[in-house]
Amino acid sequence: MIGQVKKPIEEILDYLDSKKKIVIYGCGGCATVFHTGGEPEVNEMKDILIENGKDILAAISPPFGEFTCYAPWSKKRMNSYKKQINDCNAILMLCCGDGLQVVREYILENEFGLTKSIYPATNPVGHMGGGPSLFREKCIQCGECELGKVSGICPMTQCAKGLLNGPCGGTKKDGKCEVNPDNDCAWVLIYRRLKELGELDKMREIIQPKDWSKMQRPRELEVEPLSLE
Amino acid sequence: MAKQFRKILKSDKFIITAEIGPVKGTNVKKMIDDIEILKTKVDALNVTDNQSAVMRYPSLGTCLLIKEHGEEPIFQITCRDRNRLSIQADLLFAFSRGIENTLCLTGDSLKMGDHPEAKPVYDIDSVQLIQLIHNLNSGKDLSGNNLDGRVDFCIGASATPSADPIEPQLIKFEKKLKAGIDFVQTQAVYNLDELKRFVDYSRNIDKSVKILAGIVLLVGAGMAKWMNENIPGISVPQNLIDKLAKIPKGEGLSKGIEIAGNLIKRIKDEKICDGVHIMAIGKEEKVPDILKAAGILKI
Repeated sequence: MIGQVKKPIEEILDYLDSKKKIVIYGCGGCATVFHTGGEPEVNEMKDILIENGKDILAAISPPFGEFTCYAPWSKKRMNSYKKQINDCNAILMLCCGDGLQVVREYILENEFGLTKSIYPATNPVGHMGGGPSLFREKCIQCGECELGKVSGICPMTQCAKGLLNGPCGGTKKDGKCEVNPDNDCAWVLIYRRLKELGELDKMREIIQPKDWSKMQRPRELEVEPLSLE
Repeated sequence: MAKQFRKILKSDKFIITAEIGPVKGTNVKKMIDDIEILKTKVDALNVTDNQSAVMRYPSLGTCLLIKEHGEEPIFQITCRDRNRLSIQADLLFAFSRGIENTLCLTGDSLKMGDHPEAKPVYDIDSVQLIQLIHNLNSGKDLSGNNLDGRVDFCIGASATPSADPIEPQLIKFEKKLKAGIDFVQTQAVYNLDELKRFVDYSRNIDKSVKILAGIVLLVGAGMAKWMNENIPGISVPQNLIDKLAKIPKGEGLSKGIEIAGNLIKRIKDEKICDGVHIMAIGKEEKVPDILKAAGILKI
């Protein structure tokens, strides 16, 4: 999931400074889980914007499970609000940057032929797993998964320096990381797991420099469309 | 006055290197003074690379200054601030200007330094950096392209003998040995039993790699306690802290010189390892006094 936090309301009001008629659009996916763009947050944002003199033409809360970043769903959803979207001065997106840009490009521009102001209400902070309350970044989507060499713990994500061949000299006595002492040193965790698995020799193999061209952005994939029926 | 550090590494001489920490700015006078003081007394001067992630005069530029003043530099290269292109380019430049010794390091986290908002690089790590230099030495860049003009670097690495837990650190060090290094310089050591344990481990794998024990000059009990609390892998024993704490104010430095001298003397007399790397951290002009306290410098 895409971890995210709310933007300060001052920043949002600044974006909307000269915009009167607003459409708010949340997300039934990650933004619902992270309490940044589910139904309660969409309603809360609506109240705040009304208090600040805005006209809310629509406050859209997709049901849980309906990801705004999935264009077939957001297209269907936005089609029922076409008039409000057409009339508004700006759309406020309570979701991650994927959702905002999918809506901007695939729906507003490509489907509706509209050039509309669209603003983010959240700060996305990483691809995260876990829950229900604590989430941690686990994967940087490097394009060439190394987890098979490192006991299922990704040092590119868990190590503050992303080191591939063992710990730096900054491992503290308790096995914590000097960069963020709340975190375990990724390489101490990898070492312990490999030892327990009887595979410590894997840690002795030199991992070659990473092919970062696999992270050349923007990446894209072509897949067989899912049937939504 | 070329000393050829790599020849010294192959000899039986007790090796002595000292650290030069570049200044913040362009006033290089103190560095030049330090280079002049140290140049006849050590085997090479080892220049830090934006140490503690604090932006300073560059390691490479300071290496050139050292060359210009007749001493042999060791070019510290961290992986924090440069990608593989930049590192290779700097190495080509270094060799073309007679800088032949390297020390391959990961680099302290940006969070520790004075530009914490910067984007860290770590395109390659210290083990891969050692391999990269071997590639250059064999006439190829990291992508396998031929170089026009050869390089031939002497390669150094670091290790942390007092780390706790030690085994992950030793496995990483084993990779550095496997990648191929000429010398290793350790994090500051005060516990010589831990140093011996590390030397045994290293020599068991590769006897030819020369080991220089890191010696950090202590200037008082406060500094010792601070290092224990803040620098992973450094452990100043309580008896040394107690000794420093009893010293009247203003005399901490001379006690620190005596402690460093005694450590070096023991390492040399007991043949614990092949030499020392002295980190005087801002008190480089005191290195000759440390060497006198160790019985190495006579005058």
